[in-house]
Amino acid sequence: MATNPMHQFHVYRIGPEIKIGNFDLSFTNASLFMVVSVLTILLFFYIGTKKKAIVPTKVQLLTELAYSFVSKMISDTAGSKAKPYFAFIFSLFIFVLFCNMLGMLPYSFTVTSHIIVTFVLAIFIFIGVTIIGFLKHGLGYLKLFVPSGVPIILLPLIVIIEIISYLSRPISLSVRLFANMMAGHTMLKVFGGFVISLGLIGGWLPLSFSVALTGLEILVAFLQAYVFAILTCIYLNDALNLHH
Amino acid sequence: MKKPEDITTRLKIAKKKAKKYNENNKNQNSSSLGSAFKLSTEMVASVFVGATIGFILDNWFDSKPWLTILFFFIGVSAGILNVVRSAKRMQKNTEKV
Repeated sequence: MATNPMHQFHVYRIGPEIKIGNFDLSFTNASLFMVVSVLTILLFFYIGTKKKAIVPTKVQLLTELAYSFVSKMISDTAGSKAKPYFAFIFSLFIFVLFCNMLGMLPYSFTVTSHIIVTFVLAIFIFIGVTIIGFLKHGLGYLKLFVPSGVPIILLPLIVIIEIISYLSRPISLSVRLFANMMAGHTMLKVFGGFVISLGLIGGWLPLSFSVALTGLEILVAFLQAYVFAILTCIYLNDALNLHH
Repeated sequence: MKKPEDITTRLKIAKKKAKKYNENNKNQNSSSLGSAFKLSTEMVASVFVGATIGFILDNWFDSKPWLTILFFFIGVSAGILNVVRSAKRMQKNTEKV
């Protein structure tokens, strides 16, 4: 069990089986860790915003830091028009960040290492951004697929290319997060397995690698949440400020 | 020629500038690592989407394998376009800073 590096990604049922029609809606360990991360976020922000002191405590400082970080990110990439979407991008960033970080704890489960979780997030962003684009610009949003200054003969090909590049957004968004998390956690487990199999004499080298990789994984966990949020901002920017 | 007060104010300004510079640099480093991750998947995703569209169209029109091949290459060009576009965006960002 412990020797299989992929075992950590198994999803199993917790509690009774719930079935509605053909859909299995049972509570799994993946759902448990999503609930845990949401509760952690709520607790974190509850403690951080309870006092509202002028000289902040450490937790308050962290919450304020998170707020200004996301706020700056949105205004830098998507401009002032994207301000109304702050709540969405903030919760997205914090949720992905906490899922990644909770996955770094031993014996925990990394929700974002499953393609279906990240793909659902990405496809909702994709659909939402497309709807926002059509609401703001009407059919003029389709101009996104027709870059200016292209000869008429090449236009059909360019439009197909543009549509494919537009459709590839949710795929690249979800695969990036999923692949990074899964690869990192598998690597950690593999090196951990080396420590056991090489024993007391040779196990020190993979152990030191494991320590270094843990640091790297924490960096990746933060960075992937950041990239996820910033790409959402960029897509939002394309939908809000239409220009090519 | 120069008064000591003058030097302290100048020192203050220089310190502020150095701090600002450091902050800017730090931001750039973390975001450039992020964009390295970004570019790598951008290309693969377009190829995948293109090939999938080709495969679906092939099933519709019963023309295996020609549309898959065609759309694979269109996907490759869409991927290159994506990469070039995000590289351009990055360049613009660094020039702004």
